[in-house]
Amino acid sequence: MHNDHIPTFSELDRDGAIEEAAARAGVTRSQFLRRGAFVGGGLIIGGLPAAFSLAQAPGKGDVDILNYALTLEYLEAAFYQQAVDKGALNGQLARFAKIVAEHEQAHVEALEKALGSKAVKEPKFDFKGTTDSPSTFGDTAKLLEDTGVKAYQGQVTNIKAGAVLQAAGSILPIEARHAAWIASILSDGSGSPSPAPDAFNPSADMAAILSAVEATGFITTESGSSSASPSSGTPSVAG
Amino acid sequence: MAAPHEDALARIDHDGVIREGIEAVETAAVGQTRSSFFKRGSALAGAGLALGAIPAGFAIAQGGLPKGDVKILNYALTLEYLEAAFYKEAIDKGELSGESQIFAEVVAAHEAAHVDALKQTLGKKAIKSPKVDFGGATGKSKFLETAQILEDTGVAAYLGQAGAIKTPAVLSAAASILSVEARHAAWVRDIIGGGKGVNPAPDSFEMPQDMAAILDAVKGTGFLKG
Repeated sequence: MHNDHIPTFSELDRDGAIEEAAARAGVTRSQFLRRGAFVGGGLIIGGLPAAFSLAQAPGKGDVDILNYALTLEYLEAAFYQQAVDKGALNGQLARFAKIVAEHEQAHVEALEKALGSKAVKEPKFDFKGTTDSPSTFGDTAKLLEDTGVKAYQGQVTNIKAGAVLQAAGSILPIEARHAAWIASILSDGSGSPSPAPDAFNPSADMAAILSAVEATGFITTESGSSSASPSSGTPSVAG
Repeated sequence: MAAPHEDALARIDHDGVIREGIEAVETAAVGQTRSSFFKRGSALAGAGLALGAIPAGFAIAQGGLPKGDVKILNYALTLEYLEAAFYKEAIDKGELSGESQIFAEVVAAHEAAHVDALKQTLGKKAIKSPKVDFGGATGKSKFLETAQILEDTGVAAYLGQAGAIKTPAVLSAAASILSVEARHAAWVRDIIGGGKGVNPAPDSFEMPQDMAAILDAVKGTGFLKG
């Protein structure tokens, strides 16, 4: 309607401030503080971000996506925990493995909580010796993290519930940070492999990701639905 | 309580204005977590295919965007203008070397590509590039810390709009930028930390920040002049 009007930054700022201030008026700081502790920049309730306390049970499509995410997080968490336990890493790689292991475990617990009785069970894994040496660990970690970013990104437009998008959205940039971090360690200051290889990060759909995961052979048993929901349409990693 | 970039802020925040902005960010994040439960649109197939330099998500009909999405895209464009200008000035100054120089060159190209994609998507509705004044922030001694703040801010800003975007193609494209901003943030943090200090991924979950909080923080830097 007003295509010829070019807004200025100050107009944008003013409009944004007014709108957002109005939105914020819906809740006071004291009301918020009663809901949980504000820790490290995040709203944490019972050790998990509030975004995962879904007010409504997710629909079937969102359950499938959350279980898909949970399967990938189980895989990552088990990989890093095994690497930490084996003790073959040192220096930057050991620090990376320890911190990322904690993150992936936190993602697992958050997704399990969001899914409740519909959460898939943890599969069995065989990482085929990739946690035994720094070089195989580093290359595998990079592959897993790059895959995780593509996987979450590929689902943003499939997710139906705003609360689920918010929860998945809070994990996506963390996977991207992990991916850049491991690339930065591997590059040793040379810029190769690049921590940020593209201006626009590629995404991948569920079928492509599950094929790639299957090709690793890391998952030795299918993740299955819990007995409480035998027909929740869990994605089959084994194909 | 502390924002992950608090230490870096202290080094460049001469008169406390940035800190005030960040405190506003922390306060405002409260409202965001309560208020950003939005209805989602329907599914969009695929996502990340690039058409030339522009991802397919941006190749959408101009004029068909809802007003809210136009506003969000112009907000993103403003932040990208700021980032692109920052990295270009840092490179032009020629004070960087080694990994900092590699980082600046790669990220400058990315931010310029984001600007181009957003401008193309917005067409005539695109906001103009603001005037900027980075002072000494693009010099060798402050470049990395300033870059860290800009990138961490960019991540929180994009994440904060995820629930507000109405057009699936825009959401898909914004997610592809969000990932890249997070990669930049982790990369510069790893350069600063040198494997020991600053954590490239300081939390298990990223926290969004709303538009007002981000704009307050950006204004607090004094980098934008018009």
